[in-house]
Amino acid sequence: MKIKKMKDKRTSTIVMHNVLIGILAVIWLIPIVWLVCTSFSEYTGINTSTFFPQKWSIANYIKLFHPDTVAQFPQWFMNTFIVACVNCVISTLFVLMVAYATSIMRFPMRKPLMNIAVILNLFPGMLSMIAVYFVLKTFNLTNSYAGLIMVYSASSGLGYLIAKGFFDTVPRALCEAARIDGCSEARIFLQMVIPMSRPIVVYTVINSFLAPWMDFVFAKMILNAGVSSKYTVAIGLYKMLDKSLINDYFTQFCAGGVLVSIPISILFMIMQKFYVEGITGGAVKG
Amino acid sequence: MANEKKSTAAEAVSGFFKAVGGFFSNFGTAVAKGNIFVKLSLLWWGAGYIRYKQYVKAVIMTVLEAAVILFSVFFASQYVPKFGSLGTVKAEMVFNIDTMKNEFNDYDNSFMILLFSLFSFVVWLVAIVIWIKNMDSVYKLQLMEENGEHINTFQEDMKLYIGEKFHITLLSLPVLGVVVFTIIPILLLVFVAFTNYDQQHMPPSELFTWVGFSNFITLFGGGGLTATFGYSFVRVLGWTLVWAFFSTITTYIGGILLSLLLNSAKTRFPKFWRLMFVITIAVPQFVSLLLVRNFFADNGIVNTICSNIHLTGFLQDIGLVSTNHIPFLSAPGWAHVMIIIINIWVGVPYQMLIATGVLMNIPEDQLESAKMDGAKPFQIFAKITMPYMLFITGPALVTDFVKNINNFNVIYLLTQDVYTTTNQALANSQAQEVDLLVTWLFRLTQDYYNYKMASVIGIVVFIICALFTLVAFNYMIGGDKEGTYQ
Repeated sequence: MKIKKMKDKRTSTIVMHNVLIGILAVIWLIPIVWLVCTSFSEYTGINTSTFFPQKWSIANYIKLFHPDTVAQFPQWFMNTFIVACVNCVISTLFVLMVAYATSIMRFPMRKPLMNIAVILNLFPGMLSMIAVYFVLKTFNLTNSYAGLIMVYSASSGLGYLIAKGFFDTVPRALCEAARIDGCSEARIFLQMVIPMSRPIVVYTVINSFLAPWMDFVFAKMILNAGVSSKYTVAIGLYKMLDKSLINDYFTQFCAGGVLVSIPISILFMIMQKFYVEGITGGAVKG
Repeated sequence: MANEKKSTAAEAVSGFFKAVGGFFSNFGTAVAKGNIFVKLSLLWWGAGYIRYKQYVKAVIMTVLEAAVILFSVFFASQYVPKFGSLGTVKAEMVFNIDTMKNEFNDYDNSFMILLFSLFSFVVWLVAIVIWIKNMDSVYKLQLMEENGEHINTFQEDMKLYIGEKFHITLLSLPVLGVVVFTIIPILLLVFVAFTNYDQQHMPPSELFTWVGFSNFITLFGGGGLTATFGYSFVRVLGWTLVWAFFSTITTYIGGILLSLLLNSAKTRFPKFWRLMFVITIAVPQFVSLLLVRNFFADNGIVNTICSNIHLTGFLQDIGLVSTNHIPFLSAPGWAHVMIIIINIWVGVPYQMLIATGVLMNIPEDQLESAKMDGAKPFQIFAKITMPYMLFITGPALVTDFVKNINNFNVIYLLTQDVYTTTNQALANSQAQEVDLLVTWLFRLTQDYYNYKMASVIGIVVFIICALFTLVAFNYMIGGDKEGTYQ
């Protein structure tokens, strides 16, 4: 009798426990559900009376692929894709190069350089960007992808710490052995350490590829004054919510948001386990 | 990552001076003890290399020297002499008799003068470093020859750059990028903070000039007429700190609780639930936050629902709301609370991911023995889980706080175009109740071209972040653990 009571209590706590998680998950998903539902709405403005659209349609997605002067989604997508690819190559190279030099190699300027990086990381990125904007304007590089790519990738070397944390776990003895066998430092880097560190390479690649998709501020500063066909997805979608446009484009904004989120989500899922390792650094070794 | 952050500025400074000291002492010995060719290298960078038959290096150094001299004569000389005044000739239309047209005179552009002078200083600094290094390496060549050692050919020297000196090959481009796109811009803005560069002084049509500390005085409340700036600064700073504190703490604790909940043995389908929460952060912030902003708009869906269930009426009755809608994001107080709540929505899944990673590694035996000794779940949480979490993620917590001080996205995307301040004093200095220092700074530059005040605010933000990091690392965590895990 007593045992049965305990079992009852246990099942009821398990049910309660899962119901609690369910409620939280629903709260967290409400805006996402609203995003997806609204993107299938026939009405173009914001539906303020009901949560679900009164009439469903896929017109918003069709409209997205038939660009007008305001919404040029395919063009924006391509723009962002190009910027993301170039940034991905440059940033990944920079990050891995700096991480290898500071982690595996020992040279006199190593510590001072790392300390300078710590101090520079404390400056709000916004602050230097305002000045960078002037410099780019002086050289006529605003409203161009070259400028935007430079902004994303030039200082990317400062974000080397996660990759360094990973390289730190590469056994020192291996590198020493390679050096004794007459292997040049460049070969150790390219043929030994990089192949051994595939997870962190994947993380760095995805991370730098995602940056232009997720970023809003820098794109707004650099591309703001340009024409619609030159925007990235973030700026294009933001402009759709302008007060004069929102009633005609809100549901298209939602459709665009859904389309952009799908590839990003997939990449993000792949990356999330490295994300955790990165933040907790070498500290989590069990 | 966390361990690295512990390097303090104090260490950085002392390390820097040590390096500088070593640098100059080498230079001193080279000048004092070098032979005639080494001494000649003081003037002609390539001289020493010619003596020791390193002709390619000699050519490279000579070309470099020539480049620096040409740069100084033809470029820097146009700007650096005007650095003291930042230009004196205002842009004007003058009638040109030759072309019979109105043309601009040969005017000064204060911003160009500032930018290119700064650029010249950096080039000269680098040139001096190269010059001193050059002396050092030529002197080493002399010593090597005296000792009868082998002197490298150019090819052998180049080989060093994929061998022992590979770090130079690796670091030169990234460092160049950081210098051009981070250090020079920061220095530039530090300079701008001491000028009167604003909407009334916009190059090229107007000049701006040095004004000393007066912008700082304005920000800290001095200067009668512009006293609103001091008032706004205190208000904005207060909210920035409140925001940073609450957003960090709420998401941190929320993340730990959520991850405990998800990772508990009682959870069915933990992977599925985790996926549900992660989806919300995989959607880019500019989509999700702009959406949430419309969700909570004055005439948005949430307000409709609230008035349908008579919540709005109830709040009106008890005097919390004076309008016929709930001003979620458009009135002070309401907006502050909503922003922190929405940030919980944004931030908790991130923290949940991190906490999950850390919690998986809590020594199982500790939890077991605590349970056997009859510890209640809450006691285990307070005495084992939390201290362990704090130990591992303490440094990340500090960085999170600093990141939140600079958390532009959440505030800007939620309140831009939606929130308008009714406080005249704040409006006079283009601030709002919900502004962080960074969003205020952004608005000052983007909409009001008030670069001088934006620069001052930027410097203040940096000082706050740097002070906080220093104090936190020295007193809370302390110690440099680099290499512990190597």
